[in-house]
Amino acid sequence: MRRKLPTLVLAVLLALATAGVAAASNGGFTPVQPASPNAHHIQGAYYLILGFTSAIFVLVESLLVVFIWKYRSRGRSRAVEGAQVHGHTRLELIWTAFPVVILAVIAAFVFYELPSIDSAPAAADPIHITVEGHQYYWQFDYPNGARSIGKLVVPTGAVVDLKVVSPDVIHSWWIPALGGKVQAIPGRVNHTWFRADKAGTFSGQCAELCGVFHASMLGTVAAKPASSYHAYITQIGPATIGQQEWSGVCATCHGNLGQGGYGPNISSSTLLNSRSSLLGILRNGLDTSRAGAMPPVGDTWTQAQISALVAYVKKHIYKAAPAGGTSGG
Amino acid sequence: MAARSEAVYPVGWKSGRVASWLVTVDHKRIGILYIATSLMWFVAGGILALLMRSQLATPGEHFLTKDSYNQVMTMHGTTMIFLVVIPILAGFANFLVPLMIGARDMAFPRLNALSYWLFLLGGIVLWLSWFSKGGAAHAGWWSYPTLSENFPFASPGHGQDYWILSIHILTLSSLLGAINFIVTIHNMRAPGMTWMRMPLFVWAIETYAIVLLVALPALSAAVTLLLLDRTVGTHFFIPSHGGSILLYQHMFWFFGHPEVYVMVLPVFGMISEILPVFARKPIFGYKAVAFSTLGIAFFSMLVWAHHMFTTGMPVGLDSFFMISSMVIAVPTGIKIFNWIATTWRGNLIFDTPMLFALGFIALFTMGGLSGIFLAAFPVDWQLNDSYYVVAHFHYVLFGGSAFGFFGGLYYWWPKMFGRTLDERLGKWHFWLLFVGFNLTFLPQHMLGLLGMARRIYTYHHGGLWEAYNLMSSIGSGVMALAVLVFLVNIWQAHVLRKGVRAGNDPWLADTLEWYTTSPPPAHNFDSVPYVTSARPLRDLRRRLAEQAQ
Repeated sequence: MRRKLPTLVLAVLLALATAGVAAASNGGFTPVQPASPNAHHIQGAYYLILGFTSAIFVLVESLLVVFIWKYRSRGRSRAVEGAQVHGHTRLELIWTAFPVVILAVIAAFVFYELPSIDSAPAAADPIHITVEGHQYYWQFDYPNGARSIGKLVVPTGAVVDLKVVSPDVIHSWWIPALGGKVQAIPGRVNHTWFRADKAGTFSGQCAELCGVFHASMLGTVAAKPASSYHAYITQIGPATIGQQEWSGVCATCHGNLGQGGYGPNISSSTLLNSRSSLLGILRNGLDTSRAGAMPPVGDTWTQAQISALVAYVKKHIYKAAPAGGTSGG
Repeated sequence: MAARSEAVYPVGWKSGRVASWLVTVDHKRIGILYIATSLMWFVAGGILALLMRSQLATPGEHFLTKDSYNQVMTMHGTTMIFLVVIPILAGFANFLVPLMIGARDMAFPRLNALSYWLFLLGGIVLWLSWFSKGGAAHAGWWSYPTLSENFPFASPGHGQDYWILSIHILTLSSLLGAINFIVTIHNMRAPGMTWMRMPLFVWAIETYAIVLLVALPALSAAVTLLLLDRTVGTHFFIPSHGGSILLYQHMFWFFGHPEVYVMVLPVFGMISEILPVFARKPIFGYKAVAFSTLGIAFFSMLVWAHHMFTTGMPVGLDSFFMISSMVIAVPTGIKIFNWIATTWRGNLIFDTPMLFALGFIALFTMGGLSGIFLAAFPVDWQLNDSYYVVAHFHYVLFGGSAFGFFGGLYYWWPKMFGRTLDERLGKWHFWLLFVGFNLTFLPQHMLGLLGMARRIYTYHHGGLWEAYNLMSSIGSGVMALAVLVFLVNIWQAHVLRKGVRAGNDPWLADTLEWYTTSPPPAHNFDSVPYVTSARPLRDLRRRLAEQAQ
């Protein structure tokens, strides 16, 4: 028994060291590396709670293990009673008051951190972006009227105010490095914000079940120097939006080349070749009586967006069935 | 009095081996029916879990399609909550409450039978929905509109309608049961059994019944409105026509959070019965444990919107629900400390029920502590709807409730069937389940922190995501093995008749159910001793010992 104890201590130390190494390399022991002040402050609150809960965890579990070891029966008969202790009022008061104090400290710290998590820095002049959650893509509207799909480009160092909405079902906006989630709820407008202080690409995914392709509803935020950002939003034109619509919306079901996947092979469908038929499908969906049918993915798209997709599809996707001749271009 | 003798001594076709179970109004038989049926759904729901873990074992798998994944996920959650944890606890309560309080039966035996048959019917309706047009419901166990509405791209088909019908039947079953328990506990206690001499399990069932009574109607109402939206064209939850989605969320979680405590309070009660018997001590702080149950029940009704921190509620409301959710940790902590103190200076005997009870404390503590992260709403903004939450509630509902009811099964099995389950297999069952459980759910905390959202049917990250997911899937296999060992144990004890015959009181326990034979006769007791403390059987043993001297 004496020999077992050092082994046990060694094992525990080893486990703690492993955990420490894993935590230092962020093996999933803390939220992902923050890249925005709100995510930073959430991380701070996380660490504080982690500290307290780890201490309580170690206390409770080691008490349990020590008592299990120390008061084990050792072959005593079942008829032998333990100490007939019925309770202890002072102990009850201590383990009632002690958690209250800890929880009060945690709550106080949350309130202390809250302003820097919940509200954007007051002095900053934010860039307003509308984020529309859609089955099954994210669509971003920039202040100058430009629109992108799947990928949001923002300037580094600027406060970005996100207005999060949804026309169909509930989605949840979540880029872990840039702060917490907020749901995109039909009929409601929610706000959140972030400020990416360094250039980089941050990815996340929709966090509220939104239908069959919930898992494919990925989102990316690319933080770039202000000049690149301005260049990006002024250059978003028919060519880029058409490509984004195809790869961020159509390709989810129909494959990158329209070869089919969850949805049918559409690469040689004549519906693709006509603006009016494509418009009808995008606005209203297709075969809607069937579960998993084609949703009205473009019901909030502008005419220009539709045209961009038509042009893109004609140029890059559509292949007339037998001959394979290119049309338009 | 023909009617009366018929109930006690079944005659004619009603006395057949099967028929006597079909017409029974005996609380013990109904309790066993509840438990057996719940275990059947437990295996079924567990198979669904294994399907999901197989799909998620490696990135980009094609084991399940995305449609069927969503159906499997919805059915797993609904089954485990409504067809396993709640009813198996109702089964224990049915079997035990009258025996523990020295009563002959429940107050309303026929109503009791109706509760069971409604439960079975609700389960059948839910599981037959696989065959309905469009397959089973696929909007998750909380079925948020508008995804659960009858829209072409949300939930067309009838799976969702069957889901609603099933919930209606099950809530009715639980409500009738709850009323029955309250009436029984208030009116039928043995002479001398004051409130402060009542077994802690009965305290837990009293509280459980009250919570059900308050919380369930909110769920019935919410799914009724959803049904109206889906079938007759109302717009309660359709914002484009002036409805409100948040209304559903509030109604659902006003039921949904108390529900969590419905699923764990009776287990607290079981632990409070098992621990003292195997520590050979009285429970430490009887009153603290009893009153903390009431405290949890009260606060459980004030915390519902902590499930909605990411819906953009005003910060004032977020703050209120954070504080109320933290407050509920206090009575829960009181229980854990009292349980640990119960083992202090005991004569700890590690039979299988005790292993499960101690395992429960170890795992439930983990589930409680991870809950504090989720209560702090800014941290919840990061963790909400991620695998961290999946890990958290499995520590509460599996590490907590399921470990508890397995402990309860091993503990009361001799009373229910007169035979003891094998200890060696029982220990294999415990250790496999304990290791498998931690292997499955511990890595899910990390997955959530790495950014893995709930309810996704696949992912494309390698590295840590893949490693943790694979670990989790392997763990689920180990858990399946553990459950298999349990089934073998039952088979060996009853089909091979290897189970050792148990006397009236194999564990030298404290409460009245051990006063009668194992299994008890239809009328439970020939006579009930006057109850002079919370441990009437120990009192009796001591009196007998004194007389013998």
